[in-house]
Amino acid sequence: MVTIALAKGRLADEAVELFQKSGILCNKPDDFSRKLIFHSEDGSIRFILVKPSDVPTYVEYGAADAGIAGKDTLLEEGRAIYEMLDLGFGKCRMVVAGFPEKKDIWITNAHTRVATKYPNITRSYFSRQGESVEIIRLNGSVELGPLIGLSDVIVDIVESGRTLRENGLVVLEEICPISARLVVNRVSLKVKDRELRSIMDKIQKVLEEQNNG
Amino acid sequence: MNRWKQYIPEGMQDFLPVECYNKRKTEECLRRIFFMNGYDEVETPIFEYFDVFADGNTTIAQEQLFKIPETGGRILVLRPDITTPIARIAATKLKNSGLPLRLFYISSVYRYEELQMGKQRDIAQGGIELLGVPGPEADAEVISIAIQALLELGLRDFQIDIGQVEFFKGLIEEAALDEQQAEDIRSLIDQKNILALESYLKNVDMPAGTKKVLLDLPNLYGGADMLERALSLTENPRCINAVRNIRQVYGILCDYELDKYITFDLGMVHSLNYYTGIIFRGITRELGYPICGGGRYDRLVSEFGYDIPATGVALGIKRILIALERQKGLDKIPPADILFVFEEGERNSAFRYLQKLRRKGKRVEVFMETGCDSDPVSYARRRGIERIFRVGERYFEEIIVEDGPDGDDCAG
Repeated sequence: MVTIALAKGRLADEAVELFQKSGILCNKPDDFSRKLIFHSEDGSIRFILVKPSDVPTYVEYGAADAGIAGKDTLLEEGRAIYEMLDLGFGKCRMVVAGFPEKKDIWITNAHTRVATKYPNITRSYFSRQGESVEIIRLNGSVELGPLIGLSDVIVDIVESGRTLRENGLVVLEEICPISARLVVNRVSLKVKDRELRSIMDKIQKVLEEQNNG
Repeated sequence: MNRWKQYIPEGMQDFLPVECYNKRKTEECLRRIFFMNGYDEVETPIFEYFDVFADGNTTIAQEQLFKIPETGGRILVLRPDITTPIARIAATKLKNSGLPLRLFYISSVYRYEELQMGKQRDIAQGGIELLGVPGPEADAEVISIAIQALLELGLRDFQIDIGQVEFFKGLIEEAALDEQQAEDIRSLIDQKNILALESYLKNVDMPAGTKKVLLDLPNLYGGADMLERALSLTENPRCINAVRNIRQVYGILCDYELDKYITFDLGMVHSLNYYTGIIFRGITRELGYPICGGGRYDRLVSEFGYDIPATGVALGIKRILIALERQKGLDKIPPADILFVFEEGERNSAFRYLQKLRRKGKRVEVFMETGCDSDPVSYARRRGIERIFRVGERYFEEIIVEDGPDGDDCAG
């Protein structure tokens, strides 16, 4: 049996849809949003629903053989796992955003304060730019940072950019595009080669049809 | 009471009797297998100068070292691996001992790791190093000993996944990439992230043929037929030699009749500044991460001033124990064979007698009153001991302990 970890929420909904299209699942399980575990109809796959940022952890430990998670989570967690497929949904961008003009230039002129849910991505991005920044880790409503004066800029994912605009913020720099990925445990890929390969092939076929269609 | 008194630091572990028994059995099994293959055991200090591990020629990042500032002296570190100290020994104290050197160790190493199951900060390892032999015969020997050990330990359903870093290094040389580009590409191949690799390579200038092989590299894993496919992809002599080298090692392992445990992955590209040829990892369905790993490291010993080739493997004892436990459960500790009870006046003769039994290989316990068990029989029952010898001034009796209710509960 193969265990697949799904990131609870919108990604899981889209993932289940993809599994249905590719013939891996026939029906969406009843009461889906409250399930923790469910099986494919033929019993060959066990799906577990976990907090998005935990997907890479489950997969790295081998508690799940594969998982579906956003690229943002994968970058942030930096786990030793195989990233096999770009599933094309959950598309957005990881960006640096802030006011078009830096407002507060006195005290914090020497270094930039960045509010973010993604401290690792932020650290690696700014260190590659050769900038030292102060990272302020928040768990949500990151846009508030610059509004309240907690930070100069934010690093966050942006889909349409509406929330930013509503708060008078703009995208200052783009870090990378984000979308949902299929990740696989490094040992499972080798020891459950046949099972995983068949799942990936089915998904790949659907993805190709979507791209051509 | 100070609550820290009752806890141990994260990543460390107490081995309680059953775990310790199984750990020791594993270690003894490894020791026997290594020894029977002609390897001699060495022990190195638990801490050494930071300088020994500082050269970047190891697989361990500086962040992972446990450092001890020595007042007025240099920085010390808890040994993060044993291969490096063995290279130091080989290049200094054993420099005049002739070659090859076949050395093994069974010791803990210490690494500051993010904690996870089976990834402790005190990592018990058993491993061998074969120094002074450059060819495939040496690599095959090391791999075959790893397989012998895993089989002997009772592990089923494992495989040794073999790669060769020269294949990737040949392509990087051919593509004339700078260090950063090479590292970016390496990391994408290591993640088997084909899409990102494809888009990365789009913006890098290199021969189209090289690009094609690099793009294929994440998929170059599987059985021996994969090696043929790899050969058909490139004319780069470094790459071809790498595949030939794997085939030679595989040929030897076929002669050893161990080929059914072998698979290949040319996209295995970790620790490239350390490994110089064959690399491999042992994996099993039981565990999501490798149980052993090793390869050829021809440059390490020269860091210590003695230019000899070397190859080796380290087996993770805790990881093997986890895999064994999941596969078939841990072994029980055998109970004492005999529980000995004697009257005070018979102490001298009783002791002589029980020493005789012990010399004959019997595990003999002397019963002691603790108030925990009401009598020797209930104690024997609780401890699973089947025979009791009672000795008094005028009697000697043997009691066979029948199965019955467990002894008194001592927890209260």
